[in-house]
Amino acid sequence: MATRILTVEDDERIRAAVKLALEDEGWTVVETSNGEDAIDAFHASPPDIVLIDIMLPGMDGFELCRSLRRTSDVPIIMVTARNDTHDVVAGLEAGADDYLTKPFVPKELSARIRALLRRVRPTKPGHARLTFGDLEVVPDEGKVLKGGQEMHLTKTEFRLLCELAADPGKVLSRETLLDRVWGYGYFGDGRLVDVHVHRLRTKVEADPANPRHVVTVRGLGYRLQG
Amino acid sequence: MNEVAAPAGRLARLGWRLRPRRFGLRARILIVFTLGAFALAAFLAAVTYGLTRSTLLRQRDDAAIDQAYANARRVEEDLRSNPTNLQPILADLPGTSQPLVWYRSAWASRNADFGPTSLPASLRDTVIGGTPARMIYDRAGKRTLAVGVPIPQSSAAYFEISSLDELGDTLGSVGVSAIGASAITTALGVAAGAWAARRATRPLGAAAQAARAIAGGGLDTRLEAVDDPDLKVLADSFNDMVSTLQRRVEQDARFASDVSHELRSPLTTLSNSAQFLHSRRDELPERAAAAVDLLVADVGRFQGLVEDLLEISRFDAGAVKLTLDELVLAEFVRQAVAASAVPSGNGVEPPSDSTVKIVVDPRAEHLVARLDKRRMLRVLANLLENARHYGAGDVTVEVIPATPPDEPVTNVQIAVEDHGPGVPPEERTLVFERFARGVSAGRRGAGEGAGLGLALVDEHVRLHGGRVWVTDRLDGEEGARFVIELPVVAEEEMIPEEIP
Repeated sequence: MATRILTVEDDERIRAAVKLALEDEGWTVVETSNGEDAIDAFHASPPDIVLIDIMLPGMDGFELCRSLRRTSDVPIIMVTARNDTHDVVAGLEAGADDYLTKPFVPKELSARIRALLRRVRPTKPGHARLTFGDLEVVPDEGKVLKGGQEMHLTKTEFRLLCELAADPGKVLSRETLLDRVWGYGYFGDGRLVDVHVHRLRTKVEADPANPRHVVTVRGLGYRLQG
Repeated sequence: MNEVAAPAGRLARLGWRLRPRRFGLRARILIVFTLGAFALAAFLAAVTYGLTRSTLLRQRDDAAIDQAYANARRVEEDLRSNPTNLQPILADLPGTSQPLVWYRSAWASRNADFGPTSLPASLRDTVIGGTPARMIYDRAGKRTLAVGVPIPQSSAAYFEISSLDELGDTLGSVGVSAIGASAITTALGVAAGAWAARRATRPLGAAAQAARAIAGGGLDTRLEAVDDPDLKVLADSFNDMVSTLQRRVEQDARFASDVSHELRSPLTTLSNSAQFLHSRRDELPERAAAAVDLLVADVGRFQGLVEDLLEISRFDAGAVKLTLDELVLAEFVRQAVAASAVPSGNGVEPPSDSTVKIVVDPRAEHLVARLDKRRMLRVLANLLENARHYGAGDVTVEVIPATPPDEPVTNVQIAVEDHGPGVPPEERTLVFERFARGVSAGRRGAGEGAGLGLALVDEHVRLHGGRVWVTDRLDGEEGARFVIELPVVAEEEMIPEEIP
C-alpha cells in the first residue's frame, strides 16, 4: 500500500507544488488547507506522515500538532517560516518529530519523510529486553514499560530511547543521536535531540526536572542509566 | 560626491562656530564665578577698610582735640595762679600723650625726649600765631598726631603729641581680616562656579552619553525627563529625534524582514515546481531542458539570497540568538569542508576542479570553541565558496593557534587561502560590506552571489566574539588569505570525560 501523506498548508500554490513533488516519489498526498479539515481528514483515513505549516488560519500548526498528538503517534513534520529558536522549539515541543524551514527544497522534504518512515519500521534486531531500574525497553515489540506499566511513546521518542539503550551507560553525542535517529549528519540541528530528550523525560522519569535515567553529560551528550 | 560633501561642510562650519573661543563652557562658567566673587570681595574689603580707618581716625582725632582743649584750660589756669614753674603742671596732666607748653618764648615738656623739634614748624608757627591746629605727620618713622591750642591770655600755647601706632596696628588687623574674608569669598566663588558649571553641563554630559549609546545601537536610549524649562526643550527635541530615528531604523529592518518573509512562500512553490520539472528533464526537448537547468540554478541562488537577507535583517533587528555548542574546532572545520563539497540539493553544485587542503597545527588539534553550528558552517561555506569562485586552483584551510608557542592558547585562527587575484589593501574593509559591488570588477565582492556573503561572515564572527579580516597569502604568492579569529574554551572550563 502506498505511503499516504497528509499536508496542511493554506497557500494553495505551495500545496500544489509540494503535491507534485511528493507524488513524484510515488507517495499519495491528501491536501487540506486548515487545522479543522486536517483533523477530519486524519480521522477519516489515518495517514503515514503529516506535514503541517505553522502559520494556518484559525487553529495554528502548534495547536493542530498537540491535538493530533493526544490520540496518535503519527510522524509529524512542521514547516516553519523562520529558523528562530522559538518556532522550532515550540513546534518540537508540540510533538513534531522534525521540522523544515521555508523555502525548502523538495529533495530535503523527501529525505526527511524517508528518514521518518524508516524510523517507524522496526530497528535492527538485537536485544530482546533491556532493563534500567524500573524502566524496561523491548525493542523488538516496540514497547517500553515503567514499573511494569506500558508507556506510550512516539516513534521518534522510542527510537531515541532504543539508541541510548543499545549502548547502556555510554555517552552518545548529539551528533551521533542526530545521525542514528534522524539521519542527519554533523550539521543537523541539536535542538531536535534536546527537545526530544526533554519530551522523553516527561514520560519515563519520575521527576523530569531531576532525571535519573536519561542523563545529560554536559558538553558531550546523553546517557541512559538504571 | 558633491551632494554628500555639502551638508558635511555645513556641519563642519556650524561645529566650528559653536566651538568656544579658547575655553570650554565649564571653564568659562568657573572663570566668571571666580572673577565675580573676587571683584565683589575686594570691593567690600576696600570699603570696609576705608570706613573703619576713617572712623577710627576721626574718633582718635576728636578725643585728642577734646583732651588737648581740656589740658590747655588747666595749663592756663595753673599759669594764672603759678606762672613760674611749669613742671608740676605738666606732670599732673592726665593721658598718655606727651604735653608741650610754649610760654614766654620758652619750651617745657614732661619728657626730655620731646621738644619743639618734635613738632612740625608749620604747626608751631600757626598755633603760636594764635590759631588752633592739628596735624598728622611722621615723627622718627612713626605716625604721629599733634594738636596745638593757643593760650593768648598768657601768651602761651599748649601742644600735645600722641602716637598713632596702635591705630595702625588695629587697621593692620582689619586689613588682614578683609583680605582673609576676600580669599574665603573667592574660594567659595570657585566652589560655587565649579558646582554651577557641573550643574549646567550635566545635561550635556547625559546627552553626549545618550548619543554614544544610540550610535552604539541602543536605540531605546532616551534622556530623562527634566523640570527645567530650558533643558526640557533640549531633552524633548533630543528624545523626539531618537524616536524618529528608531522608527526609521525599525521600519527599514522590518521592511527587509517582511520582504524576505513574503518571498518565502512563492519561493517554496518555485523551488518545488522547478525540481519537479528538473526530475523530468529527460522527457523535455533539449532547449527546454537547458531552460529548466537555468531555472533550477537561479531559483537556488535566489533562495540563498533570500536566506541571507533574512539572516541579515535579523541582525539589524538585534534578534539574533546564538545556539552555542562546545565543539572541537579542527573536527568542525573538517566536517564543514566536507559538507561544502557535497551538492547542496538546490541546483548550485560546487565546482569540482578545485580541491581543499586542510592543515591543522598540532597545538590546535584539540581546541574547543563555543560555536553556533549552523551559523559557523555558513561562515566557512561562504569563505570556501568565495575562495573557489575567485581563486583559481586549490584552496588551503589552516587551523592555527593565535598565540605565541610558549603561551596558553586563548584564540584560534581559521585561515582560508586561495590563488585568486587577491584583495587590494584599499578594498580590504569594503569587501565585508553588504552588496559591496563597488569593489574592483571581476574580483572578490563583485560578481554573483557575493552580495551579502562576506557581510554575513563578518556579522556571524563578531557575534561569536571573534573577528575576520583579509590579507595577502603568507607565502608571498598571489592570492587572498581570509582569517577568522575566535576565542577558545580554556581546558579547565571543560568537564573531562571519555568521548564516545
